[in-house]
Amino acid sequence: MLKVEDLHVYYGAIHALQGINFELEKGEIVALIGANGAGKSTSLNTVSGLLRPAQGSVTFNGEVLNKVPAQQIVRKGIIQVPEGRKIFGRMTVWENLEMGAFIGSDRAVILQDIDSAFSRFPRLKERRNQLGGTLSGGEQQMLAIARGLMAHPDLLLLDEPSMGLSPLLVEQIFDIIQDINEQGTSILLVEQNAQMALAIADRAYVLETGKIVMKGSGDDLLEDQSVIEAYLGGH
Amino acid sequence: MSNLSLKNGRNAGIVFGIIILIMFSTGFTLIGNQLVAKLIGNEGFKGLDQFKVFVIFMVLMGLWNGSTAARKPAIAKDEMMPAIANGLVAGLVFGVFSLVISVFFGTMLIIKVDIRNYLVNISPESTKLFLFDQTPVLGGAYHFGIALITSFAGAFLAHFTRTNQSLRNFIANSKRSVSDFSGSPKVVSTVNNQYFKIASYLVLAALLIIIPRQWGSYWNYVFGTVGIYVLLGLGLNIITGWAGQLVIGYVAFFAVGAYSFSLLTSPAPHNLMWNFWIALAVGVVAAAVSGLLIGLPILNLRGDYLAIVTLGLAEIIRILLKSDMLTDFTGGPRGLQKVGGPTLLGNSITSDIDFMYLIIIAVLVVTFFAYRLQNSRTGKAWYAINLDETVARATGINAYSSKLLALTLSAAVAGLAGALFASRNQFTGPDDHALMVSINVICLVIVGGIGNIPGIFLGAFALKGLPEILREIENYRLLVFGVLLIVMMRIRPEGFLPSQRPKLEHPIDLAKSGKEE
Repeated sequence: MLKVEDLHVYYGAIHALQGINFELEKGEIVALIGANGAGKSTSLNTVSGLLRPAQGSVTFNGEVLNKVPAQQIVRKGIIQVPEGRKIFGRMTVWENLEMGAFIGSDRAVILQDIDSAFSRFPRLKERRNQLGGTLSGGEQQMLAIARGLMAHPDLLLLDEPSMGLSPLLVEQIFDIIQDINEQGTSILLVEQNAQMALAIADRAYVLETGKIVMKGSGDDLLEDQSVIEAYLGGH
Repeated sequence: MSNLSLKNGRNAGIVFGIIILIMFSTGFTLIGNQLVAKLIGNEGFKGLDQFKVFVIFMVLMGLWNGSTAARKPAIAKDEMMPAIANGLVAGLVFGVFSLVISVFFGTMLIIKVDIRNYLVNISPESTKLFLFDQTPVLGGAYHFGIALITSFAGAFLAHFTRTNQSLRNFIANSKRSVSDFSGSPKVVSTVNNQYFKIASYLVLAALLIIIPRQWGSYWNYVFGTVGIYVLLGLGLNIITGWAGQLVIGYVAFFAVGAYSFSLLTSPAPHNLMWNFWIALAVGVVAAAVSGLLIGLPILNLRGDYLAIVTLGLAEIIRILLKSDMLTDFTGGPRGLQKVGGPTLLGNSITSDIDFMYLIIIAVLVVTFFAYRLQNSRTGKAWYAINLDETVARATGINAYSSKLLALTLSAAVAGLAGALFASRNQFTGPDDHALMVSINVICLVIVGGIGNIPGIFLGAFALKGLPEILREIENYRLLVFGVLLIVMMRIRPEGFLPSQRPKLEHPIDLAKSGKEE
């Protein structure tokens, strides 16, 4: 479904991605794990079109996305939920969800989608008239995911959904991610919380300073000695 | 009742006492009086009249004082005693202030100490006015009496409006209608409210038709200028208020509109003498195109580039217009004379009243489109970009073309304002397009409440209309502006009328979710 080949991305003189390759099959959860600055978010931003590769290609359903603008990539079914719970703080929960459906035009479908978002996240329903910025961290993350789903993505890009959340909330969020996946949305997940990410991922890639240093199924990597030492805090 | 707090009353009294002291010592009571007399057309009022005006002023201050003291949320609504007691205390404190001022300055007047050596604005006339032309003690006693009675009345009124249910309903309804009017539609709307709305539109229409005929060419000129600035504010608000992209050199588009229009309708240097309406359209389009061209290379960048580039553009345009090199083409430093006026069915309509109507129509049309835009898909996209461009792009908004559209529309409105401005003055020159115009427009948008359409009207009035009205007391202009700024920072940091995006309540499945509002 998604295929990334020999991807190079620069921030000015900084060579952030140094030729990475990964792929994702339809229906999979694929995780990119690694430390700060390894290039995880950069990879996601390049797939969603917010950044442009200097070399290499991103192919989605057989179509090369390198030169497709971000707003068109959204229409092709790739939706990014950006890092740090980026919601529209001065819009209400409801308006945020409406913005998520920006590419849709059928009012009835939008209302129906908002309804199903509310049944998935009952908390958001309670707070639908509240400004996004006044929600708690967990609620904001839920809103960000709900907003992403409003566009009916085939592939959901999740950037650090566990960031700054309590362990209990992290578990809740990951349950939701799995649930979304089971309903047919493929997921590309970027996480520092390697333990959680590997537990739900079908496959995973380990990034280190702009290169992929290891790949395998989630379970295999969870048991891999070097991964345990580097990312899982084990011995 | 058991622990009756009179703190509110005391504080209100002190605040109002200090206000009176400041007003008196800056001579504002006298000047303000003269201003009121002028505004109500009572030129050269004599004798008792000015005392009447001053008494009315003091009565109003007293009522305000009392109601302030009684209306604090800390005061229980269901009891009358605390409200009234606080009002009385406020009146007492306020009265003591006035009494002390009266006695002290009155005595100074009698023993012929020229207080103007120390406080330059306290003239004998001003003191006499303050004493209602009585002896210090008697004048002071009057003050004390007025303060006590009116504060008591104010407290009673405030208490009454707070507790009387039918009155409160009425106020709530009117408020709702007014807020409908000021751009925050509510889903809940009663029939009562609907009539109120229609009535206010009718009153407004009648006023807009009648007033320009009544108030003479001076006020038509002043409010024509306010109207032009409302247009500029509405235009700048699109790109800066909604899309969140700061434009400092907004006057550039104003200049493009004014000059395109003037070059086509002026006898010199080209003698094209086009029809007003065609030239107006060309002016608007030329400004829009200049906005588009400036935006094309810049708007895919984020940050302050647009602000800097438009700032540069404005200065380049002004300097080019001023240069001798282009005199044959743009009229050079002397500008363009005899710019054409509007015609209707072959008749020239160039009186000050005609222009006032023209400006009012332009303002109404632009306001209408502005409201439509704000609530449109495009408006939402702008707001999203304003809040967070990255997320906006991630939700499928084409940030570049949205911003480009905003800048183009913004420039078009400036072009319209420029053409109207040049036509009304029958002149345009480089100095009409100095950077100060941009600064004024930015200020009025911010003062009014950025992103809010009624705020722009208020801001334009405060920044362009008020200084004209206050021309009589020019020396106090800066004082008033200073006070205004401080007050604004304290109580309205987001502008007079902070942006209220339509907050629609969404009651879905009320039965299921149970406890709602």
